[in-house]
Amino acid sequence: MAVPVNEKRNVSQSEDQLEKVYVWQLPVRIFHWIAAFSILILIITGLYIATPFFSPTVHTDATSNEMGWVRNVHIFTAFIFTLNFIFRIYWFFAGNQYSRSKPFTKEFWLGTLETIKYYLLMKNKKKHYIGHNPLAELSYWIFFVIGSIIAIFTGFFLLFEPQPHTWLAAQFAWVPYIFGGDSFGVRSLHNLVTWSFVIFSIVHIYMAFRDDWLSKNGAISSMFTGYKIEKKQEDKDDN
Amino acid sequence: MRPEKTIYESAIERGVSRRDFLKVCTALAATLGLDYSQSGKVVQAMETNKRIPVIWLQLMDCTGCSESFIRSSHPRTENVLFDMISLEYHELLSAAAGHQIEENRERIMEQYKGEYILVVEGNVTDDEFLTVAGHSALESLKETAKHAKAVLAYGSCSAFGGLAAAKPNPTNAKAVSDVVRGVPIINVPGCPPIAEVMTGVIAHVITFGRLPELDRQGRPKAFYKLRIHDKCNRRAYFDAGLFVESFDDEGAKVGYCLYKVGCAGPTTYNACAEMRWNGGVSYPIQSGNPCIGCSEKNFWDEGPFFTRRAKIPGTQTTINPEKVGLYATGATAAGIAGHAALTAMKKKKDEKANSEKNSSQEG
Ligand code: SF4
Repeated sequence: MAVPVNEKRNVSQSEDQLEKVYVWQLPVRIFHWIAAFSILILIITGLYIATPFFSPTVHTDATSNEMGWVRNVHIFTAFIFTLNFIFRIYWFFAGNQYSRSKPFTKEFWLGTLETIKYYLLMKNKKKHYIGHNPLAELSYWIFFVIGSIIAIFTGFFLLFEPQPHTWLAAQFAWVPYIFGGDSFGVRSLHNLVTWSFVIFSIVHIYMAFRDDWLSKNGAISSMFTGYKIEKKQEDKDDN
Repeated sequence: MRPEKTIYESAIERGVSRRDFLKVCTALAATLGLDYSQSGKVVQAMETNKRIPVIWLQLMDCTGCSESFIRSSHPRTENVLFDMISLEYHELLSAAAGHQIEENRERIMEQYKGEYILVVEGNVTDDEFLTVAGHSALESLKETAKHAKAVLAYGSCSAFGGLAAAKPNPTNAKAVSDVVRGVPIINVPGCPPIAEVMTGVIAHVITFGRLPELDRQGRPKAFYKLRIHDKCNRRAYFDAGLFVESFDDEGAKVGYCLYKVGCAGPTTYNACAEMRWNGGVSYPIQSGNPCIGCSEKNFWDEGPFFTRRAKIPGTQTTINPEKVGLYATGATAAGIAGHAALTAMKKKKDEKANSEKNSSQEG
């Protein structure tokens, strides 16, 4: 496996002071890339469903099935996304320490504060985290976990809305009472959540590249290989 | 006309043949969504049930619901008015007026306690804004509703508050269900509701002697189960991805889907697409106008009508989600660019400071 060793590494950190740490287990990596690609597909198809931005070139009868096809792709991908999400909930408990997050601790929130200072380029006491820093975890809780929950439930409500008498529709009949109020509200929420995923993805990708670039820890390649490069002894400050 | 006669008797008396009577019953069964084999039930009910006294209150309204009501074709309005119900009080349709009709209302309320049906058209306001025959509307509504068998809230105003309740709602207009308690209320929203739905609901109550099955918003399931979009005649164009872009383009002429010009069909529960209007002639979407969602709660505040919008949950503010989303994305990208630049600058500075430190240590 290719572990990038950067030549430009500071001379004072000689190679033997570094080690490979196995951070992202294979299931986490698979989960990550399934989520990434399904989010990409869901965003594109979802935006098309909300505002159809292209039409069939042959403007004749309603013989094509373009919107129908896009909707099918969207729905199929949504099922994959949902299963993947459920799997991640399982792996939260089954995986290694890096697949977990403890948002109900004081440490988490203090860490978040210091990390925010760090990203504001201020003086800070941010610790070095081998997995995610608490701010990153917080962003996953908000944008990925809560965002996905909203997207999944509103989405399944919309999917079964035309068959109100079926068992499946009955399972999601409560959705408007929690998400959005009425049919229009649910639809709007589903549409708006799309954009939160767009913004989250952009920031997430930027942060990953930035981290890789600043601390030369192979953050990008770690999502393929599972390994990050870390200094051997405990470090207090990576800024 | 006193309501003692059965529906069948009064029809025969008016010169309706038995054959025509059966035809009406069959059509009625179809309107109610019953199976053909069940039309016998309707016939039996019409032969044995007495005409039901109805008091029709018009509160803060535009009389549009009454206008729609008198255009019913299955069952015909005449059949409903002369055979099924005995309309005892209606500002527009009653022959009597003034003290005479007010007395009649009170007499019915007493004589048919718990048997008459109260129809409400229009919404309820604070006392000072509406007075009918010397009583505040709120007062007479409460008084009349108290002993009614059921209240039929016809129209979006009486069901949900309606246009008069649009922000900032200066008259404090409310739905009937906000002020009437302890009496079953059937909401029949729409601005106005479809005539056949209005008469159909009454017919259901008469035929079966009980209220139709209601959904969580108090609407009869038989008519408000599905969205317009689920039965729309332009749905094939939607699935094909063929959309009207503006009202004067080629697609509008051909009859493409009106999704992109703001059609509210995908979020509107009503029976327009299958029952249509004016005896099944057409309905707004068929005639080329996007659905404005007039039977949905708060439709009056969730405009504009001719663009696709999303509402911010918990509010009645609508935005163009794609525009706002793109702006937000743009702002994020700009923020990232700025942050990256600052990071690079800081990194350089730190490296310089570091190397200086190192060289001073070495030197
Ligand atoms: S015209 Fe409206 S209701 Fe009909 S298919 Fe298009 S979006 Fe749906």
